[in-house]
Amino acid sequence: MSASATTPNELRAGALRRRWWRRHRDGFGSLAAAGPALLFLLVLYLIPMAMLLAQSFEGASLPHYQKALTDDLYLRVLFDTLLIAACVSLLCLVLAYPVAYALSILPSPWPAVGIAFILLPFWTSVLVRTYGWMVLLGRNGLINRMLSDLGVIETPLPLLNNMTGVLIGMTHVLLPYMVFPLYAVMRRMDPNLAQAARGLGASGWDVFRRIYLPLTLPGVLAGMTLVFVLSIGFFITPALLGGGKVHMMAVLIEQQVRMFLNWGFAGALSAVLLGATLLVYIVLRRLLRGNMQWS
Amino acid sequence: MATQDAGTLEVVGATRRFGAVTALAGVDLTVRRGEMLTLLGPSGSGKTTLLKIVAGFETPDEGAVRVDGRDITMAPPAKRDIGMVFQNYALFPHMTVAENVAFPLLMRRIPRAERERRVQETLKLVDLPTHGGRLPRQLSGGQQQRVALARAVVFDPQLLLLDEPFGALDRQLREQMQLEVRRLQQRLELTALFVTHDQEEALVMSDRIAVMGQGQIAQLGTPEEIYRAPSSRFVAGFIGESNLYRARPLDDATAELEGGMRVPLPHKWPGGTGDLGLMLRPERVRSLGPDDAADIAFDGLIEEVVYLGETIKYRIRSDDGRLSVLARWPLHEANRILSSGHRVRVGWRSADMHSFPWS
Repeated sequence: MSASATTPNELRAGALRRRWWRRHRDGFGSLAAAGPALLFLLVLYLIPMAMLLAQSFEGASLPHYQKALTDDLYLRVLFDTLLIAACVSLLCLVLAYPVAYALSILPSPWPAVGIAFILLPFWTSVLVRTYGWMVLLGRNGLINRMLSDLGVIETPLPLLNNMTGVLIGMTHVLLPYMVFPLYAVMRRMDPNLAQAARGLGASGWDVFRRIYLPLTLPGVLAGMTLVFVLSIGFFITPALLGGGKVHMMAVLIEQQVRMFLNWGFAGALSAVLLGATLLVYIVLRRLLRGNMQWS
Repeated sequence: MATQDAGTLEVVGATRRFGAVTALAGVDLTVRRGEMLTLLGPSGSGKTTLLKIVAGFETPDEGAVRVDGRDITMAPPAKRDIGMVFQNYALFPHMTVAENVAFPLLMRRIPRAERERRVQETLKLVDLPTHGGRLPRQLSGGQQQRVALARAVVFDPQLLLLDEPFGALDRQLREQMQLEVRRLQQRLELTALFVTHDQEEALVMSDRIAVMGQGQIAQLGTPEEIYRAPSSRFVAGFIGESNLYRARPLDDATAELEGGMRVPLPHKWPGGTGDLGLMLRPERVRSLGPDDAADIAFDGLIEEVVYLGETIKYRIRSDDGRLSVLARWPLHEANRILSSGHRVRVGWRSADMHSFPWS
């Protein structure tokens, strides 16, 4: 092998390099385009989170995690958080499904109008909307006053400062996250499919159960994932509408930091919450992928 | 598969209006047992509305639909026992081929063993015996078409409806599928109503054709009748290529064409009813020698040449400029290709023409 001449092996290596570059050129291009956003996330999200998590580890015995994962109170709150998230997801689904369906079949200008009505509150601050619910749901709030004026009730319904208030408020705030994925799936539905099913002998219920629901399931799972994951970390609404009686993880974490300055324990609770969120996300993602096989 | 209960379809005075537009204006139609009847017409002619009324997706404002004498005008689609093949197949994308074909049986609460047997049998019938486990998107267009067909016939319906089912296929496959569908329909002795805007397809597929225009049946007859003897200008213009002339009757046997040429009429004309239309198929125009005579004959110049492979089309204008005719001749060794500007002598027999009232 001479030193000056290019050997076949070197030629080959060069060709391979070029081929590799050609294959990955676009990938690098999009990486460069996403750069600023990635940098933003890295500096303002990932690094602080890593710092918080780092504080949660204290020696080899991990006392914070021991407390977070064995103490009844914290397990209870974790369970409540997941339960509330699940309830909110289901409530959103039940409310959003007919809305999305109506939007998907309305003639031309109306879907846009409907979407505007959904987006307007969506763009309003969560704080403002939550205070709005306090006005409506309170002991002497609009709803209770109206019901007692109509003679429907004698004592005011407990709508605020409890689980009911939290569920109502969270469902309201998160509803658009369910409506939009559902609407997107439903709008793409071929109306011939339902017609074909009816022609082949299916009743309205059969059409829904065997054709419409399975075909909109990807939207259902996408919406549920969004709402569930967002619910788990909810802070303002449960803090204000729960009146200190409904405990969710985010509220607890904030307490640890603000009142007890216990950064280590707050970090451990955050890690547990993050872990639970990821777990749920992965499970729903699996379901979604298994279901999407046909599309 | 049982075929004895295949039905006769009767549509009586079916009318459907959409606001100010009358989509269907009192249509009467009978499709006989085991017959394939085609509704042929341009878009907006009412053919799809009529099909939807038969399927139950539309309700007529007036009139009735009967199958074997049973009135189903108001019956929901699910109760009609009609198999339908949709324009884009409308296969359920989340179900396998076998599940798609089993769907109408499942809806009829047919037990599983029987269901599986009939699905397998029908898949074999459409030549897809091993494709039951696939998803629709894994099949080619022609295969999807066959699945749609299998799904429409698996439950042994009284009636098969086909709504422009070949639109999405390329030409070669379309021709193949036309013959396959026709064969299957004849083999199962299914009464079938077929909708298309493609006149060639209608000629290939049908026992009878109903040419539709403006919400009415313009003519009903066998493909041969419709092609040979259209009853109006509309039908003549819609089916095949033709030379159409407006003429003024001089007596019951002669008429004067718009350019002034006098021609003997093919049929005795009752007279008195205004102008008449004369139709001449391009393949009936003959090339004549210099001294040959014909009922109608003239010398002219070739104005336009269209090469079609097996045949060639010429537009020929008479020397006196009074008549222009489209001729189509087969291309074989004896027939060399003539070029534009070439002088020819052409003519045809009076009986090669067909007459109908102009209006």
